[in-house]
Amino acid sequence: MAIINQATKELQVKIVYYGPAKSGKTTNLEQVHTNVQVPNADAKGKLTSLATSSDRTLFFDFFPLEAVAIKGFKTKFALFTVPGQVIYNATRQIVLRGVDGIVFVADSRYEKMEENIETFQHLQENLKALNLNFEDIPCVMQYNKRDLPDVAPVEYLEYVLNNREVQMPSFEASASKTEGVFETLNMITRMLLNKFLNDGVRK
Amino acid sequence: MGQFPQLTQEDVEAIDTLLREVLERSEASLALLAEKAGYLIQQAGSSAQVDTTTFATLGSNAYNAVQFMASLIGESNFASMYQQGEHFSTLMLNVDENSLLILVFPTHVTVGSMKYFAGPAARALQERIHLAAQRDGALSLDLSDLDATNVAALFERRDP
Repeated sequence: MAIINQATKELQVKIVYYGPAKSGKTTNLEQVHTNVQVPNADAKGKLTSLATSSDRTLFFDFFPLEAVAIKGFKTKFALFTVPGQVIYNATRQIVLRGVDGIVFVADSRYEKMEENIETFQHLQENLKALNLNFEDIPCVMQYNKRDLPDVAPVEYLEYVLNNREVQMPSFEASASKTEGVFETLNMITRMLLNKFLNDGVRK
Repeated sequence: MGQFPQLTQEDVEAIDTLLREVLERSEASLALLAEKAGYLIQQAGSSAQVDTTTFATLGSNAYNAVQFMASLIGESNFASMYQQGEHFSTLMLNVDENSLLILVFPTHVTVGSMKYFAGPAARALQERIHLAAQRDGALSLDLSDLDATNVAALFERRDP
């Protein structure tokens, strides 16, 4: 959960990009890291990737990103991805520890629908195992890979993955072209600030 | 799972003193207090060559992974984690439910000696954090006049 340091006037927030294998979680982070405007070099940390030799995320990708000061507090967002492969489910749970906000990166292609659904279920189970309630955590849905052929219509994706009383905000994206990447990040940030406003940063 | 408490200036100074003391006594070169979600809370020592934010994140996640391993063999807790290198080694010690102490030290210092000095330091840190937790609640970050709808440009894309 978010950390406030009153002495250093810092607010630290953790956002995790979650989704099935090869859905574009790492690409989202890479695009933000490459393209984000920062006031100074220190505002953006190094992108660290713990990946296999074939560039598949083994543990997580991570980089810290500082936003403009909010109410005099330096706001630091720690952006993480989890490994998408099912065999690393235990690892995903470890990375979810202390999560404040989630971006679910779904692969829009029909052939990936079952994996999307299964991974979304795993997400909810993993949060439960950490005594966290999915409904309490701001979450944004990103329908990625819209530039590829054989993608399902957004209405279909919404029906399959976002069919709930209170729908999550969702965005179409082609992360490899940076499309939808910043919209998604800004939405999860906005939701987190809204949550802090309503609940207080500390409960 | 509880939360790491808010720290005041007094807390930070006390934690800083504890970290500096353990460095002095143990010959370690770097001491970090990290929250187990991956946040660096406080650091002391020679950090010029080290990206301490990343180090704390990697350390805390590695530590969490080892705790997960412990649970798989029916252990409730592995209280510490040691990695030996050619020039430097690291020792990570549990402080409390939410935080850990990470020490980097030259390999000529034995891990036994490091544990001897780090153990009391971890307990002292735990006490300080406990004090902060007891006081927590009186402090808050007042965001009441923030317009949360006006953050669309919080992160902007650089011009291509």
